[in-house]
Amino acid sequence: MAVQFLRRAALAVLLMLAATAMTFWLVTAAPGNVAALIAERAAGAGADGEMIARIAEDLGLNDPLPVRYARWLGDALSGDLGVSLRTGKPMAEEFAERIPMTLALLAGGGVLALILSLVMGIAGAVSNGGIVDRLLHALALVGASTPNFFVAAMLVIVFSVWLGWVPTFGVSGFTSWLLPWFTIALFPASVLARVVRVNLQEAMSRPFATTGFAKGLTRGAVLLREALPNIAIPFMTTFGAQFTLMIIGAIVVERVFGLNGIGAFFIEAIRFRDFIGMQAVLTLFVVFFVSVNLVVDLLAMLADPRMRRPRRA
Amino acid sequence: MKNWPWPILAPAILFVLIGALAPLLMMHDPAAQDYGALLQGPSGAHWLGTDYLGRDMYSRIIGGARTSLVAMIFVLVAALAIGVVVGSFAGYVGGRVELVLISVIDIALALPSLVIALALMGVFSGENFAWMSDYWKMIVALTLAWWANYARMSRAVVVAELQQPYIEAARVMGASHLWIFSRHILPHVLGLVVVYASADAGALVLAIATLSFLGLGVAPPTPEWGQMLVDGMQYIEEYPALVIIPGLALTAVVVSFNLLGEAFALQKVPRAVSGRFLARKKAARAEEEAARSRG
Repeated sequence: MAVQFLRRAALAVLLMLAATAMTFWLVTAAPGNVAALIAERAAGAGADGEMIARIAEDLGLNDPLPVRYARWLGDALSGDLGVSLRTGKPMAEEFAERIPMTLALLAGGGVLALILSLVMGIAGAVSNGGIVDRLLHALALVGASTPNFFVAAMLVIVFSVWLGWVPTFGVSGFTSWLLPWFTIALFPASVLARVVRVNLQEAMSRPFATTGFAKGLTRGAVLLREALPNIAIPFMTTFGAQFTLMIIGAIVVERVFGLNGIGAFFIEAIRFRDFIGMQAVLTLFVVFFVSVNLVVDLLAMLADPRMRRPRRA
Repeated sequence: MKNWPWPILAPAILFVLIGALAPLLMMHDPAAQDYGALLQGPSGAHWLGTDYLGRDMYSRIIGGARTSLVAMIFVLVAALAIGVVVGSFAGYVGGRVELVLISVIDIALALPSLVIALALMGVFSGENFAWMSDYWKMIVALTLAWWANYARMSRAVVVAELQQPYIEAARVMGASHLWIFSRHILPHVLGLVVVYASADAGALVLAIATLSFLGLGVAPPTPEWGQMLVDGMQYIEEYPALVIIPGLALTAVVVSFNLLGEAFALQKVPRAVSGRFLARKKAARAEEEAARSRG
């Protein structure tokens, strides 16, 4: 068990290294000449060849790629992710300012998705083919198909423009978080609701459910007491996958609602060719995705004895 | 085919037809501005009204369908081709080659496709890539972000299929690798992958619109729904139709493609699961089986 844990964790670290190396290679391949970009930002059009050459020498841009990656990795591990070409501030500072915003978005959206999907999935299973079930099925389909920027726009039109309940832009107080949270929760909630619904249905046809009925339990009681614990693992793994995908929702939502998070910074970095900022954000994303997947896998191992399978001969 | 939800598939079919026939259907040049007719409601001359530059919304919606359709087809075909070739090769050859290719696939799947596409758009904005137009940058970025799923799936199918006794029988009878692969294995791979692609089409239309919405896809003069929507956001208080019309078009098409995927999946197994979920489950099962038999 411990060996399995360790092996899975080691794999995650390897994946992080490989993925950051890949992004490093891609991002450094792009601009042609980072030194020229830096010189241009520093001295405007007045940057001459000599200045560019000096910057390249100072930053070690003439070294071979593996050397540069190793140096970047060493710096990154000690918390130095470089200086943003766009804002001129160290990336560590930018992160410290912006990560709380994005985390608040993800946390609120995640909790909302969890609650919505369980309520929708269980309500569907209770109704079992009835009108509620079919309505929720349709709702989940639409929820999983509506672009999140359109969801955000419609929420703004209805709640800000027509009803005037919440501000169109920015966040101030709890109510202003509701639209962004709902926007990023809708897609994962819809997907998860289907997972809950389908797995509950399957669990209800298993022998333990039959036993429950035989003991005289009502359908609702069997559903909640016997079937529900059995969907924990598919629910958890799908939730993990959906939670990582919520970062895309966060990128869109931050843009629509004008929030100053990591997603907004990423888009600005791409537009302004801030390759150092891009590399830093991508590293953050890789760490986030790989660790969420790691945690989900480890939790699944803990929850399901079958996943802790020993090595086969 | 009898039980398919035909009425709901209409948007997908319409989307393809409209996209294909766009030049015949447009009543105005979608880029033509008319300052005498700004932000007008629907009329005989402008069926869906006009936007803030007096451009005909109906023609822009039609033009947007064509933009998305063409990009979607390019990306799907290219990603599918790369994925099937890389995945099947890895699965069939096995050994160290397989290990290397799997690692590459796993790295490519370490980030969500759209984040990779965004990052690639950033990379392509560098001066080394100035020779590509924005439209082609988007297509290449999406292809590079999209192939890995198909590769993983193809590999899983190949590995599972190679376990079948009939493959061994064919080998004993002296069939060449090429024969075994093209006659016996490829049809299985394509069968699954094409089903997955039909469900994926919706996700791809969405990705194209999202990139454009973020200002990193199709650039302004070309009509595109996501970009029309973000363009209309500045008039959201006075004239929300500029946001609602492209949004509804986009949603209808994606719902429709997702239903198509579900319908495909339902032909194979009589259970209410979506195509994507099913394909993933199938791939996971194949992978597990392969791992088990390898020991």
